[in-house]
Amino acid sequence: MTTVTRSPEAARATPPRDSEDRALTFKQKLSRFDVKASPYLYIAPFFVLFALVGLFPLIYTFVVSLNNWNLLTGPGQWVGFANYVTELKDPFFWNSLFNTVSIFLLSAIPQLIAAVFIAAMLDQNLRAKTFWRMSVLLPYVVTPVAVTLIFSSAFDEKYGLINNILQSVGLHPVMWKTETFPSHVAIATMVNWRWTGYNALILLAAMQAVPRDIHESAALDGAGSFRRFFSITLPSIRPTMIFVIITATIGGLQIFTEPKLFNPSSAVPGGPQRQYQTTVLYLWDMAFNRQNFGRASAIAWMLFLIIVAFGVLNFLISRRIASTEARVHRSRTAKRLARSRAAAASTSTSAEGALALAAASEEKNV
Amino acid sequence: MKLSRRTKVAAAVAATASFALLATGCSASGSDAGTSSNPITLTVTTFGTMGFDKLYSQYEKEHPGIKIKATNIDTGDNALTDWQTKEAAGSGLPDVQAVEEGWLSKVMQVSDQFNDLKDYGANDIKSRWVDWKLKQATDKSGRIIGYGTDIGPEGLCYNGKLFAAAGLPSDRDSVAKLFGGDNATWDDFFKVGEQYKAATGKAFYDQSGFIWNAMVNQQPEGYYTKDGKLNIENNSDLKALWSKLAGGAAAGLSSNQTQWDWGKGKAFTDGSFATFVCPGWMLGVVQGQVKAGGGDASTGWDFANVFPGGAANWGGSFLTVPKQSKHPKEAAALAAWLTTAKSQVSTFQAAGTFPSVTEAQSDPGVTGDSDLTKFFNNAPVGKILAERAKGVVAQYKGPDDSVIQSQVFGPSVQQLDSGKANGDQAWANAMTLLNQLVVNK
Repeated sequence: MTTVTRSPEAARATPPRDSEDRALTFKQKLSRFDVKASPYLYIAPFFVLFALVGLFPLIYTFVVSLNNWNLLTGPGQWVGFANYVTELKDPFFWNSLFNTVSIFLLSAIPQLIAAVFIAAMLDQNLRAKTFWRMSVLLPYVVTPVAVTLIFSSAFDEKYGLINNILQSVGLHPVMWKTETFPSHVAIATMVNWRWTGYNALILLAAMQAVPRDIHESAALDGAGSFRRFFSITLPSIRPTMIFVIITATIGGLQIFTEPKLFNPSSAVPGGPQRQYQTTVLYLWDMAFNRQNFGRASAIAWMLFLIIVAFGVLNFLISRRIASTEARVHRSRTAKRLARSRAAAASTSTSAEGALALAAASEEKNV
Repeated sequence: MKLSRRTKVAAAVAATASFALLATGCSASGSDAGTSSNPITLTVTTFGTMGFDKLYSQYEKEHPGIKIKATNIDTGDNALTDWQTKEAAGSGLPDVQAVEEGWLSKVMQVSDQFNDLKDYGANDIKSRWVDWKLKQATDKSGRIIGYGTDIGPEGLCYNGKLFAAAGLPSDRDSVAKLFGGDNATWDDFFKVGEQYKAATGKAFYDQSGFIWNAMVNQQPEGYYTKDGKLNIENNSDLKALWSKLAGGAAAGLSSNQTQWDWGKGKAFTDGSFATFVCPGWMLGVVQGQVKAGGGDASTGWDFANVFPGGAANWGGSFLTVPKQSKHPKEAAALAAWLTTAKSQVSTFQAAGTFPSVTEAQSDPGVTGDSDLTKFFNNAPVGKILAERAKGVVAQYKGPDDSVIQSQVFGPSVQQLDSGKANGDQAWANAMTLLNQLVVNK
């Protein structure tokens, strides 16, 4: 025990630290590493989780879609893209796409218009603001299954509330569950009821972020509330609008619960003649009733691509709209400005001067 | 991704460790019988109302080495999705899985995924069931994969008050005679229906789907021949039945109700229709619907010992032991015990499921009075069902049977009921769907 002449610590300590800036201490290295790598580490859980529950299923689904794959008996032979070809030739696939898009349009367009309107109303000086704002969110809190049960009963063809009312005022009952257009309207109604308030709140948040002084100066310049809404509010909430439209598109194209439970006892999911069988419902039917996992996976992938395409299209269109609006405005303002200048040159009246001022300020705001 | 040598080593160590754990874990819970201090836990998955709850605790009391963990899924359809998913995934199935007749054809596609109960004493008890029930649970290679629980022999529910109002006889025996008694045919049924319609102007039955279902099920061969060939397009028997069904719908005998909905029971109480296809388990459904619609026993529903076109069965379940079970011997013993005559009397009393065991069918507990008999105007429900179970044949069900029933004929049946197509058009539409969904899939 006493034979040890030099402690290991001492031996390790011998190499002299010649200069601080050339070799960093462990602590310094750690803090440099912290600055550089930590953000990635913090965000890593999301990507690890996404890879696990998002990316892997996506790729696996693609592999399944290239096989003849029965739900119960498992993988059969490799068929390449044959499942995709079969689906593209299947009238039911196109039928499901038509239904999905139709229900999507019937729900998204009225929903967004209503949401913008409601948001604009909520943006006014109301009494008990929080009460109104929370109230529009209420439908969103109710689970879609419950919503569907209630609406499904209201839209019942023989015993439903709506047809009873129609008949009591002498109108013909509407075949909500067995005809294409009425069933789409009914399902779109459920979607609208649930999502309008939610979208209105998001748009409201965006509207509140629009600086008040712009509104005030426009008001001073004589712009009415409609003018201010279309020329100031709408262009200012454009990014939020794009967000809302894109999420509505993704949600709308994946619609499942509402058509599935609209008439849950129907022998064919999505109506006896597949009147409202949406693509996801068709996919589900293919996998779990018809047991064809390969084709179901192919549908899933095609739907994925369609949603991406729709998303890009939406983005481009909404950007286009905003920029053409600006272009139209600019040319219109320039024209008016020229006209008023010409007028001012001949007879300089105060009224026209004000008009010119208003036009000029409008140009600034655009 | 390329594995480095170190990861490989680590993986090997982990694999060995987990294998060791697994091995010791297995020897701990063992394949040898459980004891009260170290019981075996058996998992059971059922659906709907099968009436086993009391029996589980009794079994646990009688077998101290067994603990039962039961899961009940609300409907047969959801149970099918549950089973399919776990079967496809290759894990998660219970020791005892209840299987419904409606999806038996799917189960039979993977019958090798179930234990042959003959290895666990099925041969000693197989005489307990009505023969066709046992046949249904036997796969192509002769393995018995399920023990029968209940069956669904079909009788005719009718509303005595509505019959009387239409000037038809309304007591049970006369009604049975009206439809032709033991030789009742569908022609008789539609003929009485036309009389009823002429007298009241109202529909005779709720919708055509259940009638078509019964018509097909009571044939010796349905959508498939006995040796498993699809036989619909040139099947003159089916086509003839379809014409009868279409004739009834065209005469306005169908009330075009939404099946399984019936206006939340309203249709059962407002006189929309006067007859209803009733397998044993449906009696409870009718009772529930009438109550939901605001009616009670005085609404007039009764149950007659007659069924058009001969004996028919609809539904009923089996208890199976999937290969995934770690305790097949104990699971098979439990399944056998849950399907004894005594157990089936108990489940009939708890849930109204009519026994598939012959001895139980004549048990006073089944034939005697109950809530159900009181509801159906004191009809001897148990006795009638035992009569109706005679002469049922086990029909071969092909792999696509349920798809054909719901997706090929379902739309056409709806077209008949809503008057959107006549019999020939609707049949042609069904054949188009058949080719699209089944033949060229």
